[in-house]
This record gives sequence, structure tokens and C-alpha cells, in this order.
Amino acid sequence: MAKQRGSLYPIVFLTVVVFLSVVSLTLMDQMTREKILIAQQSEIQEMLSTLFPNLETFQYDEDSGLYTILANTATIGQAQMLQAGGYGGAIDILLGIEPDGRVRGIRIISQQETPGLGAKIIESQFLDQFAGLSVNEIALNRDGGSVDAITGATISSRAVVEAVAETVRDSFEQGGGE
Amino acid sequence: MSELIAIFFSMALVNNMVLVKFLGLCPFFGVSKKTSSAFSMGIAVMLVMLVASAVTWPLFHLLLVPYGFEFMRTVIFILVIASLVQIIEMSIKRTNMTLYNALGIYLPLITTNCAVLGITFINIDQNYGFAASIAAALGAGVGFTLVLLIMSGIRERLDLADTPKVFKGAPIAFLIAGLLGLAFLAFGGMVG
Amino acid sequence: MKSLIKTLSNGILRANPTFILLLGLCPTLAVSTSIDNAFGMTGSVLFVLLAANVIISILRRWIPDRARIPTFIVIIATLVTIVDLALKAYVPSLSKSLGMYVPLIVVNCIILGRAEAFASKNNVIHSIADAVGMSVGFGVAILLISFVRQVLGSGKLEVFNVQLFSIPGLDSNPAAIFLLPMGAFFVIGVLLALFRWMGVSECE
Repeated sequence: MAKQRGSLYPIVFLTVVVFLSVVSLTLMDQMTREKILIAQQSEIQEMLSTLFPNLETFQYDEDSGLYTILANTATIGQAQMLQAGGYGGAIDILLGIEPDGRVRGIRIISQQETPGLGAKIIESQFLDQFAGLSVNEIALNRDGGSVDAITGATISSRAVVEAVAETVRDSFEQGGGE
Repeated sequence: MSELIAIFFSMALVNNMVLVKFLGLCPFFGVSKKTSSAFSMGIAVMLVMLVASAVTWPLFHLLLVPYGFEFMRTVIFILVIASLVQIIEMSIKRTNMTLYNALGIYLPLITTNCAVLGITFINIDQNYGFAASIAAALGAGVGFTLVLLIMSGIRERLDLADTPKVFKGAPIAFLIAGLLGLAFLAFGGMVG
Repeated sequence: MKSLIKTLSNGILRANPTFILLLGLCPTLAVSTSIDNAFGMTGSVLFVLLAANVIISILRRWIPDRARIPTFIVIIATLVTIVDLALKAYVPSLSKSLGMYVPLIVVNCIILGRAEAFASKNNVIHSIADAVGMSVGFGVAILLISFVRQVLGSGKLEVFNVQLFSIPGLDSNPAAIFLLPMGAFFVIGVLLALFRWMGVSECE
């Protein structure tokens, strides 16, 4: 191993190693930063396209968390990410809103619900019910709304419905709908 | 406050570090043979998790992010943890020799415990605030200790039982861990 | 030359990191839900282990004994970050699947263990052989586990979006438990016992 080179040597050596590490990583970061951003953007674009197939570009407002969907420079809708407290954890939902304030549709981005039960919220059978709903209709059937809960997964269904309703109500009240 | 409690229980039970997130497995199988060492290990790990979270959070949000050095996170975090473990090891050595001997070589191993580095990553990835990070670290540590204790209790009894030869030791430990994980599934729905 | 082959095969059989040394279990169990993940993780581990072994072996006479572990850690952490950034930029879907388990490679006992036990004491050629052997051993293990979990858990085998085969009955009603964490524990427990029974490994 290393000969005895004085007690300062380990510190100097380590400092050099850390310095080299920072340099090489900064280089690596410079090389990949753009690509990573592009990858993230296209991921978001793909996600938004599932709700708005005619999407050309989108804009993102950091303060409000709203995505404005554009096609031919015209706004064809808005989208927002929201989180519901599900049975097994947080449910990440993408909500699309038409210019008139109705729901365009929702997509489940991530969830940890029970497979075979609550996890069925990702299926189109459940999700398609949200298309075209106005803010007052976003509730489970048994709560006076138009959405059929998943059999045996009332908690998961209700979590999604209530979170979506609340978000639509908030942005509607803030003049989000036109 | 309720959010902090939810995070605590989520980390400890629903998303238990060992059984669900697969972190902290090496010491899990190494130390869990005796309840006494399991407990000491668990507490030590929880301590490191807490301090590591408390240190890495401000380091990341107040130093790395403003200067665009997020990518240095892995290097910095692991160095912080390694130093912390060294410091704790030295203080235990000076204050309590029996404890030091009990933990033996497992102390420096905490550095390579995926659970400690893991929780610091989770705190960042989940965008936790400082208080939430501490709650998460506390929950993770408690959950880790809990599982370690249960595991050691079971294994102590298993040693006296008649296990088929091919299963003795590691294989049966894994199967037990799986069963434990199944049992912990029952916690799902607790944090809604 | 003979010792080179011995070093290589050591990592695959006699001292297989996963099944015998029981090292680096965290990523093995966590990402073994699909073969794609297994390939991705193996590739990442191979890169880091190979680069780390080479660098440490080259520098081994200069590394001061007292700063040994921190040096290893910084080198490995740097390499891991490089892999992580590269994956995020060039294979984002894989990066997402593997998640934080890529940066967690830095605390993977396999890499640190080999640096300490082998690379710091042997020449570069042998260190390369050791790295390759260990990575292959790891790869075989994680591929095997992923194979079992994916086939049983989803009823079919899909590699890089190409479906290879599906088992009729299992396809529509897969044993999803294998994709869940506890399934991983069961699979590796059974596999370990299997290898024991086949006499490949020694008892504890």
C-alpha cells in the first residue's frame, strides 16, 4: 500500500480526488442537461397528448401549475396535475379542462392502490366517465353525481372524484373557465 | 401536523423501508439473528437517518440547488453519511465500550446501508419540507427497527426449530421476510 | 492466464455476489420486476464496477491508507452519478423504471467490497477480470430472478417491447404477487434453497 508520506498527504489526496470528481461531474452535467430537459418536455407532451390529441405546443405557468394547450396558437384547453389521497397512498392525476370549464378527461399518472380493485381507476371504463362532465356532476352516483364507483373500491374511486371536483371548482371559481 | 404524522406512518409501515422499498437489506440479514444486537442496530440506524436527513436537506436546498449543483447530490450525501457514521462510531467508542463491542463491525456498515442514503433521496424526490423530512426519517428508522426486531425474534426461535437443510439460514430468512411483507400489506389504507 | 480465468469464474459461480455472498440485494430485489430492468441494472453495475476497479487498481499505490474508504466512495459516487445522468439523458424510460436504485449503486456492497478486497490489491488486468466476473454473476442472478417474477407475475415475457412468449392460463390471471415486493423475497428464498440443494453453494 502507500508508504508513509506525512500526515498531510491523505488530506491533499482526498481533496484532489474530490476536485476531480466535481470537475468530471460538471462536465457530464453540461453534456446531458439539455438532453434531460428535452426528454422531460417530451414526456410531458406525450402525457398531455393523451388528453388533447390535437396538441401542438403547450405552455407551463409555474405559479399556478397550469398547462395551457395550444394548437395553431389557439388555446384548446388547459391541464393540471393534482394529487388525491388514495387508499394505498398518493394518486397523481392529470386533469384536462375544456375552454368552457367542462372536464376534458383525466389520466392516472401514478397510484398505489390495490391491484384488481382500487388500481382499476387506471382503466378507461372508469376514466371515460369524466369526459364532458361539468363541475356539479363530478361526484359518485351515490353522492349525487354522474360517476360510477368501481365495485369494491369506493375509497379509491371517491378519492379521485373528490380531488378532481375540488380542483375544477377552485380553478372555475378563479375564473379559469371561459 | 397531520401531514407529518401521515408521512411518519407511511414510512414506518405502509412503505416500510425494508419490506416494501428493499432498502437496508444487508444489515437486515446480517444482524437480525439476535434481538439485542438487532435493537442496537436499529437505533443506531435511526439516529444516522435523522442526523443525515437534517444535514442533507439544508445542504441540498440551500447550497446545491441555488448554484445548480443538484447532480453532486449523490457524492455529497454519501460523504456526509460516511462522516456522520465515523463521528458516531468515535463517540460511542469513547462513551460506552460495551455498546461499541456489541455493535462491532456493523457500525461502519451503516454507511453502506441503502436505507440511510435512500431516505435522503426520498426526502428530495418527494419534495418534502424540512419538518416532513425529519418525520420521514423518524418513520423510516422506526420501521426499520421494527422489522429488524420482529425478524430477530422469529429467527431466534427458528434456530431451535427443525428447518430443512437447504432452507437453513438465508433462504428461510427471505421467505419469512416475504411473509412479513404480506402481513404489512394490511397497513395499506391506513394513510389515506 | 489461468489465474485470470479463475478470477473471472469466481465471480460467476463460487463467489456469486447475489446468491452466495448475499451482497447488493437492495437493487436486485427492487428492480427485478422485468427483464428490461434487469439488463439496465446489470449494465449500470458493470460500468461502475469495471471503471471503479480499473481506476482504483491503477491508483492503488498512491491511495493513502487512512483515506482509503472515502477515496473509494468518492470515485464510486462519481461514476454512479455519470451513469445516472447518462441514463436520464439517453434512455429516460429505463431511468424512470430504475429510479433511485441507480444512484443507490454507490452503497452497493458489491462495488465497495470488490474495491476493498480486490482492486486495491491486484493489478489492472486481474481487476478487470474480477469486475467482469462479478458483474456477470450479478447479471445472471438478477436476470434469473426477474425472469421468474415477470413470467409468473404477468403471464408473459416481454423484452424491450418485444413479446417473446406468453403462458395461456397465466396471461389473463397472473400471480401478481410476484411483482410485489414480497414476491421478490419468496423467489430469492426459493432460488437460494434450490442452489443449496443442487450443491452449488456451501452451507453457512
